[in-house]
Amino acid sequence: MILKTKQLSKSFGGLKAINKVDFEIPKNEIRGIIGPNGSGKSTFFNLVSGIYDSDPGSYIEFDGHDITYTPPHEIAGYGLSRTFQLLRLYQDMTVIDNVMSGYHTRVPYKFFDAVIGRKKIWDQERAIKEEMMELLSFVGLADYAELNASELSGGQRRLLVLARAIAMKPKLLMLDEPAAGLSPVNVDNLMKIIMQLKEKYGLTLIIIEHILKVVMDTCNSVTVFDHGQKIAEGTPAQVKDDNAVIEAYLGKKMDDEEMRKALAV
Amino acid sequence: MEKFKSIIRDYPFIAFIIAFVILAFVPSVVFTDVYQSHLATLIFVNIVVAAGLNIVKGYCGQVTVGHVGLFAVGSYTAGTLFLYLGLGFWATLPIAIIVTAFFGVAMGIPSFRLEGPYLALATLGGGEAIRLFIENGNFFRSTFGISDIPTPSLMGYNFDSPDRYYFISMTIMIIAVYFSFSILRSGVGRAFMSIREDPICAAAAGINVKKYKILAFILSAMFAGAAGAVYAHMPPGYIHPNNYTVIEMVTFLAMVVLGGLGHIWGGIIGAIVITIVYDLTRPLYKYQLLIFGLTIVLTILFMPKGLGGFIDRYFLEKRFKKKTGTEKTT
Repeated sequence: MILKTKQLSKSFGGLKAINKVDFEIPKNEIRGIIGPNGSGKSTFFNLVSGIYDSDPGSYIEFDGHDITYTPPHEIAGYGLSRTFQLLRLYQDMTVIDNVMSGYHTRVPYKFFDAVIGRKKIWDQERAIKEEMMELLSFVGLADYAELNASELSGGQRRLLVLARAIAMKPKLLMLDEPAAGLSPVNVDNLMKIIMQLKEKYGLTLIIIEHILKVVMDTCNSVTVFDHGQKIAEGTPAQVKDDNAVIEAYLGKKMDDEEMRKALAV
Repeated sequence: MEKFKSIIRDYPFIAFIIAFVILAFVPSVVFTDVYQSHLATLIFVNIVVAAGLNIVKGYCGQVTVGHVGLFAVGSYTAGTLFLYLGLGFWATLPIAIIVTAFFGVAMGIPSFRLEGPYLALATLGGGEAIRLFIENGNFFRSTFGISDIPTPSLMGYNFDSPDRYYFISMTIMIIAVYFSFSILRSGVGRAFMSIREDPICAAAAGINVKKYKILAFILSAMFAGAAGAVYAHMPPGYIHPNNYTVIEMVTFLAMVVLGGLGHIWGGIIGAIVITIVYDLTRPLYKYQLLIFGLTIVLTILFMPKGLGGFIDRYFLEKRFKKKTGTEKTT
């Protein structure tokens, strides 16, 4: 198990955004997370990556480390990388700087070497840049390396955010709606790139996605959230036929008696 | 030429040694009177402050308006050390840098919780508090100022006139700019920029946001401290609280903004331009502040990345065209 949560809870005031979720994912799996809007998917990501503190009684373990109360940058240091639903691109930095800043946890030299500006630093910086240029050409953005990130199109931004998250060579990559707002052709292209990256770096993936086709086609297993609770888990086929899931998405199936009661009120 | 370029890339300090040699000949070749040396020293002091301010404001994105307070701390550390202990430049400079670094920590702590205009207000208060503390303290000779701070001497040679002091300020400037370049071009500079753009995403990418924020404040404070000490020992060696008001702060800000926020050359270009313009427009002193205020506003409106960004843009578009064969339309 690379990621494990026990009794994970988070409440905002009276609202229980995440309510006692037990979640486990083994290495090399692709897990999809689906659920209606407001069901706590993104909150779950924020809790695991340390951006929110979880409520007392929760427990999160990542790769053998207890990360329940670890600040986000240390969690990233253990090899957990994520993207954001709203991208959070570094707008005013060049594309290559965006990707290289994702490399931060792997930068080999110390601060004082950088201050003095020894030759070794510039060699290492060049090596980093070359590696990141390779990554950029892999996702198809090499030509735009020197442009500002704000000048990219929507689809290119999604690719850039993906490249930035990969740059730290994570063990677990959590993607928050990677394909939101893309045309079907671009979605296929993006998923192809994600799959290739998974093979190349041996990643474990957790993907939040609303496009069910993507989830059903690519994920080994699916977890369904509703009202902050995990309501179903299993292979895509199992989840598709699960009554609780259908209820969460489409509403409850009523018999005649219940219908009459509901209408009478 | 290619070989020369690759040597510079591996050993950037060679470029700075060349710059040092060229600048060393400037007074005897270019300058016609002593006043120009004095002006050059002022430019160098401003470059050091602006390079430091560029780290914390341009790169790390923390809006600090109290930087002139740190500059004052540097100056007055040097001044009081001379006044009470009789120390000379070579002792006061490192002590001033260290003391100012501690004040930088104090100035940086509010940045953990405050952002943007709120942080600006907090640091404005900090900077003004330092000035008022000096102005009302007999320990610092209050409004009399500290006078007769001695110029440094090295191996019997006394840098006692502006054209001699030029070499001291120039050396300090070259070293400071070298440090700022190596810091900002390394991963540390990138970490600062990511914090400026998006602290939450930076944290998720493994950057310790608090640590780097305070680091930016300490570094820029050290620059301000060094500049302050150089300024205090500059002939005629007189410092007064009125040299450290909000007006000076606006001038420093104008330098960084005009040069280009977050551009590696930003503070340097801005310091040169603004100091010279400031000097040339002395007859119009009533309107100077108006001009600098307008400069800041107009630069932010029409050239948000300053002169540095403007020049960069030009070369970038050329390269992009060469690479892809298409015109860029932005």
